[in-house]
Amino acid sequence: MEAPPCRQLGELQPEQERSSSAVVGLSLCDSAPLLWRIQDLKTVRSSGLVGALLGALPRTPRQNIRLGRPLLLLPEEERLLRERHSAAALPARNQDAVGTELQQRYEEEEQRSYEEQSILALEDRRSALLRAMTSSSGSECGAGSDEALQGRLLALGQNFTFPRSALAVQLSTARAGLSHCQEARAFLQADWPIREQDSPRREARYQVFRDLRGRGFFLTSAGKFGGDFLVYPGDPLRFHAHFIAVCLTLDESICMLDVLCVARLGSNVKKTVLLCSPAPDGPVHYTSLQWSGMV
Amino acid sequence: MADQNKTESANNFYNEILSPCELFAARSRSHKLPARGQKDFYPDDSEEQRQRLQQSLDEHWRLISEERVERLGNLVKGVWIPSDRIVELQSPAGKFWQTMGFSAEGKQYLLPEEALYLMECGNLLVSHQDLPLSIQDGYEMFLSADAVSLQQYQVFGHLKRLGYVVHRFDPSSEPSSYARQLNLPPSRERGGRQLKRKRSPSPTPTCSKGESPAEKMEEDDKLPESHLPTSAEPAEPQSCSSGSAGEAGARTWWMTDVPDRQADKRPSPGSPSARSRWNFSAIPFPDLGSTGRPRTVAPPDPSLLPGGVTVGVCDVASWMQKVNLREVRMSGKEEERERRGRRRDVNKDREVQRCRNWAEYHELLARRQAAREGRPAHLWSGEVTPLHDPTQPISTAELLEKISVITSTNLLEGASRLKGSEEWRICFNVYQPDSVADFKKSNPGKPYTRMCVCSFDGPVPDLRAIKQLAFQSGDVLVVFAVVDHGDISFYTFKDFQLPRDVFP
Repeated sequence: MEAPPCRQLGELQPEQERSSSAVVGLSLCDSAPLLWRIQDLKTVRSSGLVGALLGALPRTPRQNIRLGRPLLLLPEEERLLRERHSAAALPARNQDAVGTELQQRYEEEEQRSYEEQSILALEDRRSALLRAMTSSSGSECGAGSDEALQGRLLALGQNFTFPRSALAVQLSTARAGLSHCQEARAFLQADWPIREQDSPRREARYQVFRDLRGRGFFLTSAGKFGGDFLVYPGDPLRFHAHFIAVCLTLDESICMLDVLCVARLGSNVKKTVLLCSPAPDGPVHYTSLQWSGMV
Repeated sequence: MADQNKTESANNFYNEILSPCELFAARSRSHKLPARGQKDFYPDDSEEQRQRLQQSLDEHWRLISEERVERLGNLVKGVWIPSDRIVELQSPAGKFWQTMGFSAEGKQYLLPEEALYLMECGNLLVSHQDLPLSIQDGYEMFLSADAVSLQQYQVFGHLKRLGYVVHRFDPSSEPSSYARQLNLPPSRERGGRQLKRKRSPSPTPTCSKGESPAEKMEEDDKLPESHLPTSAEPAEPQSCSSGSAGEAGARTWWMTDVPDRQADKRPSPGSPSARSRWNFSAIPFPDLGSTGRPRTVAPPDPSLLPGGVTVGVCDVASWMQKVNLREVRMSGKEEERERRGRRRDVNKDREVQRCRNWAEYHELLARRQAAREGRPAHLWSGEVTPLHDPTQPISTAELLEKISVITSTNLLEGASRLKGSEEWRICFNVYQPDSVADFKKSNPGKPYTRMCVCSFDGPVPDLRAIKQLAFQSGDVLVVFAVVDHGDISFYTFKDFQLPRDVFP
């Protein structure tokens, strides 16, 4: 069965070009590949890999509809990045190098931030006072109100305190202080352990993933839909998925009941089921299932 | 020079630290989530679509790249202790203390998954070696395969964000099924449980039991005395009463009834085993009502009389007149029954005579009935007999049960024999959100469900695993939280009885 029509990637913008050649820093957490830095997420998205967000969204942490960083990569996505040499393992938090030097620097920065913020707070109060006074004394103008204003401002400056507890502090998402590690391509072979056993099923999945990604589709995981991948014609932010891809090796037999199950499910969620099998000599064979009436 | 610029810009490319100005400006941030618009169906090359995509992407990056900024006074401070894998609080806990954390040695602690969740909510600042930890540090240091794995934390976070109270499951703190049966209050200390002492049967009251029948006998005897006040008759009741009183005193008359139940009822005249039983066949009881009308009554055996009392022949002529010797007039039905009964005198039946005791007699009756009912011998006399005798009454439900080949079972059948497996274990207890107001950490009560975390990559739980987990959980439902790269699906198995349209 012919492969479904596909979209070509649009022309790469210069920014995208820079980021797509950039190396993405992966961090391992409990042997799962996570992306933490915003630029890495943008890079990965621009090369058509979606991943899955796992963390709480900083703006509204107590809801599950939109999640925030970190981004978890599918094993196929990770392997694709690895093969393109566009991913590197970031070093873990350095326990030894943490000494008093870093702590001193941190304390100094906090102190500096405190001073700047107190100035900003004072400015903010002053402008608020100005606004209040000028709005209240609308039509009145003259030297008298001006003097009063100056007096008020002076008093504000003298009595204003910015308590330490009002200091705004950042709770960083990604580990701070990591520089861009383009030269860390060398990390790849050295640090990256072989983490998955390559079973024929995994190999089939990867071949199908690479093929569909190459044709411009976006893929995410589809466990809930009883398949291997959900296939989107464009970015998942803007488009609905069209296909549920079920990956099988060519010599694997599938029982009729399983075919019925997945076909029924597909028709219920209005997506076409694709049975995908990579041939050993290269191209991937696709078979789509359509639920038709009794003919 | 150019290189320096490049590295500087490269450094800034990945810099996510906010300047004090930005930190200050974060106070006036919006806290609303932008609504997502309608999706398009198919990508065409239109500019409109491209623009909308760019808008969506920009909004997406704006949301994702926002950093958590909090007032220092609003943050609870904590310290990560790697050796114990817990976070020790250094400033008083906030509202979350009602459902999370535990105290030990006067200090407040948080479990790593709870601490990480609070860090993500922006309520907690954890330091390690005097430097604050980022969320990434938290993930990498708090989560590991042997403590709380990433998948388990995903489920934990998902449920907490929905509002549930989630605690770690501790199998040893669950009461056993027996304790649950007894409905014991959940108490930690063993001394709190009072075992019921078994009451042994008390040995005392039999003498009172022996006394009362004797008293009853005496009362009964007062009545016949009035009817037959001859010297002979009162002697007998008297001897009866004296005899019974004597027996009661020896406490043997009633007691011998019990062991003698199994013994042969064969009358053994004068046998020593008859001990306190009277041989009634040897004691002539005058029949004053039968035809023949004796005018005299022979004196009783002197052995039955108390010493020193001699009795002569008793003339009962005058008393015979007082006895009601009228013929009993029976109704037609009763006469019919009498005739039938008299025709087949049970005692004349030879087979009955051959029976030595009641048990044999019952067997004879049963055999006769079986033959009478016509139960074919070829069916009923072999080793394999029909399931049910059609002449016996039976309800439809029982009959269905008798002939059923497949019996229904429930999930917990045979579950107690199963040993726990490493692969499947319950991770969390989940309590409902509306109970948060009066939730007590020391006594949380029965959880709403228990969670077992697995993934689509792993095996599907087999019946063995489901049974074992259900047994371990007791009467609380076990839910399988299946994690699939950010998506969590919840599945559970419930017992179900097939309906039977049968009224028992």
